[in-house]
Amino acid sequence: MIPQDIADAIVDPKAYADQARIDGAFQWIRENAPFGQAQPQGFDPFWVVSKHADILEVERQSDLFHNGDRPTTLMPIEMEKKVRATMGGSPHLVRSLVQMDNPDHMNYRRLTQGWFLPQNLRSREARIREIAKTFVDKMASLGDRCDFARDISFLYPLHVIMEVMGVPEADEPRMLKLTQELFGSADPELNRNARAVADLDEGLKAIQEVVGDFVAYFNAVTEDRRANPRDDLASVIANGKIDGAPLGFFEAMSYYIIAATAGHDTTSNTTAGGMWALAENPDQFAKLKADPSLIPGFLEESIRWVTPVKHFMRSATADAEVRGRKVAKGDWLMLSYPSGNRDADAFARPFDFDITRAPNKHVAFGYGAHVCLGQHLGRLEMRALWEELLPRLEFVELDGEARLMQSNFVCGPKSVPIRYKMH
Amino acid sequence: MSEAEPFLVWQCRTCGYIYEEAQGDPLEGLAPGTRWRDVPDDWICPSCGTAKGEFDMVEI
Repeated sequence: MIPQDIADAIVDPKAYADQARIDGAFQWIRENAPFGQAQPQGFDPFWVVSKHADILEVERQSDLFHNGDRPTTLMPIEMEKKVRATMGGSPHLVRSLVQMDNPDHMNYRRLTQGWFLPQNLRSREARIREIAKTFVDKMASLGDRCDFARDISFLYPLHVIMEVMGVPEADEPRMLKLTQELFGSADPELNRNARAVADLDEGLKAIQEVVGDFVAYFNAVTEDRRANPRDDLASVIANGKIDGAPLGFFEAMSYYIIAATAGHDTTSNTTAGGMWALAENPDQFAKLKADPSLIPGFLEESIRWVTPVKHFMRSATADAEVRGRKVAKGDWLMLSYPSGNRDADAFARPFDFDITRAPNKHVAFGYGAHVCLGQHLGRLEMRALWEELLPRLEFVELDGEARLMQSNFVCGPKSVPIRYKMH
Repeated sequence: MSEAEPFLVWQCRTCGYIYEEAQGDPLEGLAPGTRWRDVPDDWICPSCGTAKGEFDMVEI
């Protein structure tokens, strides 16, 4: 059993805003209980999958370790009861690809999979680069100081995914706010009530309101795209068919929500974290400036470094064995991606930011059937931005304290103040 | 298959990983020029773990 203080830390949103605390907790787990059980206060017990190799092993077996049977993200016992009571027995507030297992998962994924493959994205690259250039110009126009997270990295991937989805630019601030209220639901600076969450009821109500706002918005989008299909992702979802029938209402709304949230926030977090890392590692910045062919390696290291998705949960559909331990049917497992990406058995000097790291087979996008659908779009966006920005960026350093969001699910930097010189 | 036949490109249906026979994948122990038929049957996609049988041949 993992000690109580460490078990409590790995579910605590505040711990993820304190890099040393969360790194320390997972390092202890990797070294002392690499596949051990945790029972944080208020939670059902679960196995912590902390090692890179075990994350691959569990994720590869998506029929043995399901997404949909129990909560897919960390959820206290009392909250799960309330969710099940309001969702007809389901432990999920939405039903996106993340909450599905086969055959639904495969059917729903194939609906948009081709759209997200590199050969299809290639036709979008010129437009994405154009958008990237406008944000680089904006950064230059801000002078020699900005908050790179708030001024650039929150907004650029947001603009790309919203354009791809067909959401008007005027609605982007609303989409950003809803995203931050959802993923930042535990952060007093970002959640809907703009204060520390008082209790489970208040926290759940706020999340339900955010989901409700998304549903209201995208329900109108669906009606519009069914009447007037366009060349956008919303039209693919609105007019998509599974086994000859339109998507279920709940599933369609969930599809939009995951695209409109995870479709930009993860890339924003990684971009902000990449800048933060360059500002703190001038040797890496100099190396990157001197050799632009290192940009792909820098991107992969930024993705590993930030690992914006902190966990997903799985549950065993049958008795199983992981790292020699017996897992019983129905057991809950936490896949800790940040832990896997700091595993010394998979990465030499895992706590060093090294843009020349090779190989760099991080698990930030997950692995197996549920591997990130948008990974190629995310990489394309980041490559375009950095290829446009780096030639003009002569110098960068932190200009105050950079800070992380409080969340145990999807998060990264919420503020990266920098001082810089551009031409 | 004769050496004169063109190299093909394969793509994982799950994650989009590309295997180009001409390039191989040296990090995965596949030398440049390794034909898809010579990749071991128990080989899995290095990006997502999908089995070799789930790959598609695609024109890039």
